[in-house]
Amino acid sequence: MPDLTRRATLAVAALAPAVLPSLAAAQLVPPPVPPPVPPARPLFGAGLWTLPNGLRIAHVEQRRAPVVAQYLFVGAGAGDDPQGLSGTAHFLEHMMFKGSPHVPSGEYSLRIARQGGNDNAFTSRDVTAYYAQVEASRLPMVAMLESDRQAVALIPADEVAAEQLVIIEERRQRTDVSPRARFQEAFNAAMWGRQHWQGRPVIGWPDEMRAIDRQALLDFHATHYAPSNCVLVVAGAVTEADFRRIAVENFGAVPARPATPRLRAAPPAAAASARLIQHERVEEAIFAMSWAAPSLTWGETRHAYPLEVLAHLLGSGPGSRLHKALVQEGLSAWVGASSDADTFGISDFSIQTAPRRGIPPERVESALRAEIARLLDRGVTEAETTRSTRQLTAGALLALDGLGAAPRMIGQALSIGLSLDSVEYWPAHIGAVTAAQVTAAARAVLGPNPIHTTGWLLPEGTEVPA
Amino acid sequence: MTGFSLPIQAVSGGDFTAWLVEDHSVPVVSLSWSWPGGAALDPPGVEGATSLAMGLLTSGAGDLPETAMAEALRDAAISLNFNGGRDESQGGFRCLTNALPEAVRLARLCMTAPRLDAQPLERGRARALTQARAALETPRGRASRAFWPAAFPGHPIARPTGGTEESLPGLDAAALRAALARQLRQGGLLVTAAGAITPGQLAALLPELFGALPAGDPPGVPPLPMIADFGLKIVPIEAPQSFAIFTQQGLLVADPDWEAAQVVLRILGGGGFSSRLMEEIRTKRGLTYGIYTGFETLLGQGVVLGTVATENARMAETISVLRQEWVRMAAGGPTAEELADAVAFLTGNQPLQFTDSLRIASGLLALRRNGRSMDWLDRRPERLAALIPADTSRVAARLLHPQALSVLVAGQPVGL
Repeated sequence: MPDLTRRATLAVAALAPAVLPSLAAAQLVPPPVPPPVPPARPLFGAGLWTLPNGLRIAHVEQRRAPVVAQYLFVGAGAGDDPQGLSGTAHFLEHMMFKGSPHVPSGEYSLRIARQGGNDNAFTSRDVTAYYAQVEASRLPMVAMLESDRQAVALIPADEVAAEQLVIIEERRQRTDVSPRARFQEAFNAAMWGRQHWQGRPVIGWPDEMRAIDRQALLDFHATHYAPSNCVLVVAGAVTEADFRRIAVENFGAVPARPATPRLRAAPPAAAASARLIQHERVEEAIFAMSWAAPSLTWGETRHAYPLEVLAHLLGSGPGSRLHKALVQEGLSAWVGASSDADTFGISDFSIQTAPRRGIPPERVESALRAEIARLLDRGVTEAETTRSTRQLTAGALLALDGLGAAPRMIGQALSIGLSLDSVEYWPAHIGAVTAAQVTAAARAVLGPNPIHTTGWLLPEGTEVPA
Repeated sequence: MTGFSLPIQAVSGGDFTAWLVEDHSVPVVSLSWSWPGGAALDPPGVEGATSLAMGLLTSGAGDLPETAMAEALRDAAISLNFNGGRDESQGGFRCLTNALPEAVRLARLCMTAPRLDAQPLERGRARALTQARAALETPRGRASRAFWPAAFPGHPIARPTGGTEESLPGLDAAALRAALARQLRQGGLLVTAAGAITPGQLAALLPELFGALPAGDPPGVPPLPMIADFGLKIVPIEAPQSFAIFTQQGLLVADPDWEAAQVVLRILGGGGFSSRLMEEIRTKRGLTYGIYTGFETLLGQGVVLGTVATENARMAETISVLRQEWVRMAAGGPTAEELADAVAFLTGNQPLQFTDSLRIASGLLALRRNGRSMDWLDRRPERLAALIPADTSRVAARLLHPQALSVLVAGQPVGL
């Protein structure tokens, strides 16, 4: 699930005609990490402290440019939206720019821009995050702006209606005009149920987005934005001492209040719908398979890292199993597999592929099912596993090139209850995964699993077996 | 802004000169390079050849077939990319310093000995076809496809960069080799580098990377004509939301008013929330998620381009407000406060654009493409600071012509 940002990136770039399906795009990009031997040293060397009001603050010193990045992660996202009011976390994210006690509506971004800075925010299933990048001496200013609204969000009543129209347009732009996005949304709902937190779109169902009122936004802020439910991460050209002083002076002044733990519904006993067939005016069919899966925070957590290795081993472009079986064999245009270990609660393991034109869809489906059957029957080899762990970790140090990776990785991990070490030593965790563990994880998740859905997005007039 | 400067060095090796920003704080190196031409070099009927050929360079070269090449790159975490754009082609890689020799070896192999094996070629072509078709599924894709021929009828850059359903099936290995022979030359090559590499190392690898390319320039592309004033064009597609592209004639990159015009466009509709278009169309009226305008640089010109999406029923109102704002800016220019804010942003934002090696290398490449001097960025703050409202008002009046604002809408807009 892509994060939703408050504004789209520069639109002119969006004029490029190519519209790659997201999984295919992902596989064109090199894998996130790697040296052959995982570093024994921590990746970022971050410091972590807790303020008296409960706010955790993390610091990574980076001196390449005289700039800093400040991220405030709130440990609540769309997965924590109230029942019947999907989209609340994201709507609140928008309204957080409409003023706080010392910052009038609209001034937040204006003040940062006047100092040459950039700011934005995003909402995912697990977190709502607000960030700013500024020249290093402006850190106190952005710390003041951010802490002011973390303490109190004004949410002016006369600005709610116009912003509600904005998020409805955002939904139209992201989802309603795109057959693939509509399919993805319907697929999640089919698997988890329309009202399960995994089955609702982050941006919300249209009727529920319209039902969110000011009080619901205030309630969400009161419930989830307590300092003890948030994490501040700053990376850049600031010393630890200056960072801690600035954090204490600004965020330390936010009053402590009780934080409500995430109350997420248990997984359904079985998929709401095991099969989805959706016809749209599309040129290209897509086949999707998804299984409920453990994460690093839920269920058999020992399977979480092996599942990441499995996703690479199956669907990471040339050399991976499904690429050989489907793409090299001329059946599919592309195929990808994904696993999301660092999420809060139950996660999923997914495979998507686009059959080549002229290839009967059921042929692709049966070839893919045959590969999964072979995987479950015979497991994976040490050679495949070593190749995947090496490639997954080879570029780990590339995360040091740039300001955003450290705060995003650290903020996400701490917000869902993982340790700082889970970030600092993740290459070692991946590097330690064995073939036997990958095989066991594959059998546990891709074998008989009551929460499992398959789906087809088909051009009109094309049929597949139900 | 407080004395930010980007220490650019010019490094020569063999017949090649690269711009370098050296920084050893992180063990990472990025190189970027480009050739003029891109998809504009495709002969009529062969649309998509340059883009497809450039994309296939990493799909097997020399003694490394597709999978072996992919494994070699990923085992060493080298991200090596080539692509063919509308008016130029680019190459580049980012890697850890210990993988630099391997990155150079593989990049050179891809440029000088591409295999274009039948299987990856056939799949690449199928993927391009799929993308060409999928681009027509959304209002945005439809609008983009229709925009270029409307704005620059008959010019080679107006054709779909990635090819069409008609052209792609005919692209065989011979057509792709011809495209590579046109594009991959020593002439016209621009190279930049950033990160943990010394000038001496860079000087040594330049001839190694590019020395085996054939001499001479890629074929020329006709200069970009004045943009056609096409008024209002509607491309029907069934969708709940319309997507609009609006445009008008811009300036040459070399125009002395270039930076003042950038300031005017930022205030009118540049990236920030504080732009007039965002304030009027998003914040006050809730008409859209985002509206932006700025220069799209092509063949040495900045074309004024903008985009907005809104519900079909409200596109007419959106365009009406857009036109009002165009008139207001053309007539009055920015206020003194708006000018000060924009200059403060553009000046202060400079260091934020150079926080990783990839962005530094591609930023340097943009400077070179636009023919800027090595001290262009360092002196930009003082040029911006010297702007007064009379300057930006004059440039706003020169640049913005409300009667010549052309709008293309894809969707089912009501009342236009």
